[in-house]
Amino acid sequence: MSDARIEAYSRALFEVAQAEGNLNIVEDELFRMARAIEANEKLRSTLTDATIPVARRQQVVEELLGGKASNTSIQLVSLIIGAGRGRELPAIVDRLVQRASSEQQREVAEVRSAVALSDDQTKRLAEALSKSTGRKLNLKVVVDPSILGGLVATVGDEVIDDTVRTRLEQLKTRI
Amino acid sequence: MNLIVTALFAVEDPSQTHHWLLPETAEIIYGGLASTIVFVGLYKFAGPMVKKSMKARTEKIQKELDGASSARSKSEVDAADIRRALGDIEAERKKILAEADTQAAAILVDGRARLVKEVAELEAKAVADLSAARGRSGEELRGEIARLSSAAISSAVAASLDDRAQQDLIEGFIKSVGASK
Repeated sequence: MSDARIEAYSRALFEVAQAEGNLNIVEDELFRMARAIEANEKLRSTLTDATIPVARRQQVVEELLGGKASNTSIQLVSLIIGAGRGRELPAIVDRLVQRASSEQQREVAEVRSAVALSDDQTKRLAEALSKSTGRKLNLKVVVDPSILGGLVATVGDEVIDDTVRTRLEQLKTRI
Repeated sequence: MNLIVTALFAVEDPSQTHHWLLPETAEIIYGGLASTIVFVGLYKFAGPMVKKSMKARTEKIQKELDGASSARSKSEVDAADIRRALGDIEAERKKILAEADTQAAAILVDGRARLVKEVAELEAKAVADLSAARGRSGEELRGEIARLSSAAISSAVAASLDDRAQQDLIEGFIKSVGASK
């Protein structure tokens, strides 16, 4: 999909979420959904399989997010899947998150953790990263068990990696 | 036998001739004149031809003698050439044999040197292969140990990552990031 089309879809999502007055919630839920699609090969292939009827794929989305996400988020994802752009959903959502962050004069900070963070931890982590980078941040936490433990934060081009997986990799290299 | 008897009887017969051996005087004179004329004629006319013939024969014989002498000289020259050629052939044979001996000796020396070199190279290659094999075995062993160690460490670390450890890691990250600027 071209950048222009991704941009158009992200702008449309942004306008809808903003109009519904829950931009922060929607972009956060869509961000988690996008990461889940990236991490799950089966889910990704199901949502992008042209041989599966669109209605069935939209039903999968609704069943997956039902009770876990806002109605606006579910409808927007269904819209993307219905338009046959499921493969580009992560890119569209990333652009949406960037747009929402820019709107708030913030920069996206993606943090991956092996376990879910508490609200307090998320808040303190956002403050610590803002202090460290000197920028206002829109923190997005992704639960990624593959890192085993610890956290890795990506702010723009800067990566702060203190995960168990990386330490083990370094240890393997030294061995 | 009859002729001899007849001759003996004739000698005894004086009426036949005045002497049993000599002819009549006139016959002697006529015969002598005729013989002289014949001899003079022969000398006059046949003599030059005989002389010429003899001279030609002499010249022919001399020519043959000269030819024989020339042939002999030529033969002697040829014989000398042949002897010299034989001498040259012998010298050439000796030279060729000497060169063959020299080449054979050189080939032998080269062959020995090449064999020695090849043997040395084979030995060096064998030693290098052996060393490489030892190195590979060592590296493979070290790699296997490292792999097993890593797997063991990963398993041990993953097993030790309980909720408390996870929280400690998260808090440690937040503190370290907050402390840095």
